[in-house]
Amino acid sequence: MTTGTGDVLVALERSGRRKARRRSPGGIVVDVVLVVFGVLMVSPLVWLIVQSLTQPEFAFASPPSWIPVPFTLQNFVDVFEYMPFFQQFGNSLLLAVISTAGALLFSVFAAYAFARIDFRGSRILMVVMLSALMVPAQLVIIPIFIMMRQVGLVDTLASLWLPALINVFQIFFLTQYFKTIPRELDEAARIDGAGHFWILFRMLIPLSGPAIAALAILGFEASWNGYFGPLIFLSSPENMTLPLGLVTLQNGFGAAPAVVVFAAITMVVLPLLVVFLAFQRQIVESVASTGLKG
Amino acid sequence: MSNDTIEARRPGALLQRRRAEAAGWMFVSPAVLLFLVFVAGPFVFAIVLAFLKWDLLTQPEFVGMANFERLFSDPELPGVLWNTFVFAFASIVTHLLFGLLLALAVNSLISRVVGYFARVAIFFPFLISWAAVSLLWKYVLDPTFGYVGQYAAMVGIELPNFLADPAWALPAIIFIDLWHTLGFTFIIMLAGLQTVPSELIEAARTDGASSWQIFWTVTLPLMSPTMFFATIITFIGAFQIFDPIQIITKGGPQGSTTTIIMYLFEKGFQAFDMGYAAAVALLVFVIVMGVTLLQFLGRRRWVHES
Repeated sequence: MTTGTGDVLVALERSGRRKARRRSPGGIVVDVVLVVFGVLMVSPLVWLIVQSLTQPEFAFASPPSWIPVPFTLQNFVDVFEYMPFFQQFGNSLLLAVISTAGALLFSVFAAYAFARIDFRGSRILMVVMLSALMVPAQLVIIPIFIMMRQVGLVDTLASLWLPALINVFQIFFLTQYFKTIPRELDEAARIDGAGHFWILFRMLIPLSGPAIAALAILGFEASWNGYFGPLIFLSSPENMTLPLGLVTLQNGFGAAPAVVVFAAITMVVLPLLVVFLAFQRQIVESVASTGLKG
Repeated sequence: MSNDTIEARRPGALLQRRRAEAAGWMFVSPAVLLFLVFVAGPFVFAIVLAFLKWDLLTQPEFVGMANFERLFSDPELPGVLWNTFVFAFASIVTHLLFGLLLALAVNSLISRVVGYFARVAIFFPFLISWAAVSLLWKYVLDPTFGYVGQYAAMVGIELPNFLADPAWALPAIIFIDLWHTLGFTFIIMLAGLQTVPSELIEAARTDGASSWQIFWTVTLPLMSPTMFFATIITFIGAFQIFDPIQIITKGGPQGSTTTIIMYLFEKGFQAFDMGYAAAVALLVFVIVMGVTLLQFLGRRRWVHES
């Protein structure tokens, strides 16, 4: 199961850094096919942005227009009338940051114990936790919903980040990663008088930068984009996260016009695109400096 | 006699051993506690729930096997399972096929710029939330508002109203899922291709093997562990598809897109029939685990082990 996270990000970068190959006649066909395919993949997103920038009366015109004429930013202004965008943005951000950072902290601790300390019961504990990877989220969400209802946390962000603090996959992944770091390093540090925390925070974590970065990105993405959990736990617009807010915008009581929905989606997707393009380069650097190979 | 026991007789070593025990448990305790509260506990609770009738308002009532009996005689269930398996199967086939083809194409590209564009274009949709993707595609596939229908109309083709037509709604969701999630399979395939040593391909080429032969005898066998991994991941994800269905079709038209998790959601969180929903969730668990185990059992037949 270790493939798919670190490996995936590495491959994404590595293939980008590949040197241009020599020309072959078949190659040009491949280029053309890929460009056409890429354009088709991107077209819904371009269309989204174009419609969000067009005046309502002229949007969704037939034949389709790929230039926003007449141009307007009013749809974006209107978004704030229909949904508490900044509030929901803040909720999403808070939820993603707490879930990601919290889960990573506890995963790092557990992985340290599994990879570096011989203690009774560690094997069995690991096996029990790993078997939980088979349990679908929807099975445990029913009892968690009932529990949250009992303690009065339904319709709060805590009902979402509390269960997110435990991430078995992260623990497993980090344990495997820590094991690849030579144990002699710990022993040397210990002779110099270092304790567990020093070894973990000053040595293992810095040496695991790319692995932790990959997990952080994946965790953040999962939390930021989550829909099932928020749909079940959150009901007040001011407590909602962006994905739920977007859907509510479109089918709530005072449903917003399509162009406003499009403007709202654009406001969610555009920053993501910027972050994605920037984060690609960041991964290249961490890969180049540490040579992550899962 | 192991070294361990001899050392343990020394008082200092014993103390050290105890300290290690304590430290080990100290470091795992937050995770263990959270695991008990949010994973193991709810798992046991879910099994108990499946034997109860509970709407969360009145007292829970023990009903024995009634939920399971109801589940297996539920006239809706066969259709729901059919929709789910059709979606999962179509998902695996399309993702693996397109993922592999695109990865091969990107891997053998001439132009770096095209490679960059293709990777971004194929991978980026995966990062967008299902919520945004679903809302967008609802319009893209709309016969009057969407550009797909508009272009088709311009050349004189009248497309069906995909998302409102019981025959087309599930294929449309499969297509939207392909657009959204293909990037993930594609990247996994690309990662797998990077592990195929280029020396092997060069060697085969100098021996006079054609591209087609190289693909079948070198690339594909070495890619099989990646394809195996992708098959499992795709199945587990596809079997639990929910977000786009809840947002776009709500399971309709005429139940044509009601998949098992949509069904679970309706029973548990709309009808508040918690016991029955737990029984449905257990069925999902058993099916996902069963199919995954079968895939592992069948693995030797086609997965190349180095």
